[in-house]
Amino acid sequence: MIEEPYRWVEAIANRREYIEAQLASGSPITALGYRDGILFLTIGQTRQKIFEIYDRIAMGAIGHPGDIERLRMAAIELASTEGFTRSAADVSLRRLVHYSLSPVMKSAFEQVYGPPYLARMLFAEVGERPSEDLFLRVEYDGEIATKGATYAQVRQDFAVLSGTRQSGELMEAFLKSQHAADASFEATLNSALEAWSIGHMSLQDSDSNELPERTAVVKYRQEQLANRGIEAALLERDASRAIRFRSLPDTELRSLIND
Amino acid sequence: MERSPVAVDQNFSGATGDFPALLRSKGLLASAVIAPTQDAGTPQKVWQPTEATTILAFKFLGGVLVAGDRRATAGNTVVYDRADKVLEIDRHSIMAIAGVPATAWEMARVLEHSFQYFRRTQLQEMSVDGKVRALSKLLRDNFGFVMQGVGVVVPIFATYDSHPKPEPRLYFYDAMGAQFEATDYAATGSGSPAVRGILYYENNWGAKPLHKLIEDEAVSIALRALDTAAESDTSTGGVDRMGRIYPIIKIVSREGITTFPENKIAAVFKETVA
Repeated sequence: MIEEPYRWVEAIANRREYIEAQLASGSPITALGYRDGILFLTIGQTRQKIFEIYDRIAMGAIGHPGDIERLRMAAIELASTEGFTRSAADVSLRRLVHYSLSPVMKSAFEQVYGPPYLARMLFAEVGERPSEDLFLRVEYDGEIATKGATYAQVRQDFAVLSGTRQSGELMEAFLKSQHAADASFEATLNSALEAWSIGHMSLQDSDSNELPERTAVVKYRQEQLANRGIEAALLERDASRAIRFRSLPDTELRSLIND
Repeated sequence: MERSPVAVDQNFSGATGDFPALLRSKGLLASAVIAPTQDAGTPQKVWQPTEATTILAFKFLGGVLVAGDRRATAGNTVVYDRADKVLEIDRHSIMAIAGVPATAWEMARVLEHSFQYFRRTQLQEMSVDGKVRALSKLLRDNFGFVMQGVGVVVPIFATYDSHPKPEPRLYFYDAMGAQFEATDYAATGSGSPAVRGILYYENNWGAKPLHKLIEDEAVSIALRALDTAAESDTSTGGVDRMGRIYPIIKIVSREGITTFPENKIAAVFKETVA
């Protein structure tokens, strides 16, 4: 089959369609850079979706748990080995994703007789200043989307991950107008919750490609939070500690929500 | 099919959270082979553990105090007078070392990464027993070097256990990796006999037993003990009165590790020791 170029292209297209369908129900994850760090947030999942990778790096992912675990372990192994042999300062998200994870995911995706990675991942690395924060989204085919710390585009202090492209774009459109790099923790938390709600609403109703009314978003968020939990973690900018990752319990966050 | 440049396979050590195994698989952790040498049969002649230093630790009201002098020696020569032998491994664990610095610091580095690697891969903190055992295993793996006459390390490990009941825990080891839990105090290094005497005396016949001491009293006893050790042991720096070099004193408590600041050590020293 792969001897014939057309069949190969067709096989890849089918595979892409299959994976997109599998990922389409994936609940959104947001990573928002603010004054004191980066906030990762999602709502109401049965299994953990936000993970610590290394001192200054965290990851959020949707997809098949088995594939997410393999990629997560690989990322931790690579970062830990580098941190041990050189130093923690030499562990870089850019190198980790560009040189190691992306090529592996690309070749798994294109080898049509082997299984692809059924996962979409969002990485963030906290810097000394908001302008040094790095956000990278890695697709199942190894494609990398960068938000922040790039050369060619206007930088953004956030990144999102969602099941569908439309859902992600709506979240980005909302955050572009609502979120600022120097925001407080409370403002950031509320932006993240609203962005999640907008993304999740889009997954339920894929016909609309415009931002919903604010009142509708608030109502949706209240409904969701009534019976689901918040999963959140921080990468703290505070340089006095080597390990910046900290999980935030649901109870610590609820009192900070504006209604 | 060609293997990808990054081994993302099913046999990764991440599944077990074993960092030393990962290092070994990448050839980054050397282990000595215990092989018969010309001196086989008389290893005592080759192996002369000097552990030239003094490290002590004891439980007091505020947790565990760990103190170490600052001198590093090579034979009769003082090579460094600001060595730090009391090393923080994670937020609640301290490893204090007597022995060959190169091996000890490498061991501390492996240990630090092991605990974090375990937490990150397994999504849970390693238990205190697991941590204590991890150090024991590193010592055991290092014993080949000890037998070759290089790389002996005899550490103390202090940590705070939250489960099942919150309490400080203190362990000392021998060079082969045997671990012993200390109920009150532990000391290691060439100056330790003198220190052990003082701590035993204080604990039984002092003004209060060690576990009832408040912070300043504990620091005072640690300084007196190190000063006494330095009196007879040339490898222990004690307190350098001329150079104003004080021992490193760290405290492990429920809240984490605090380093007792040098100006406060100086004040306690001036008031109760000098």
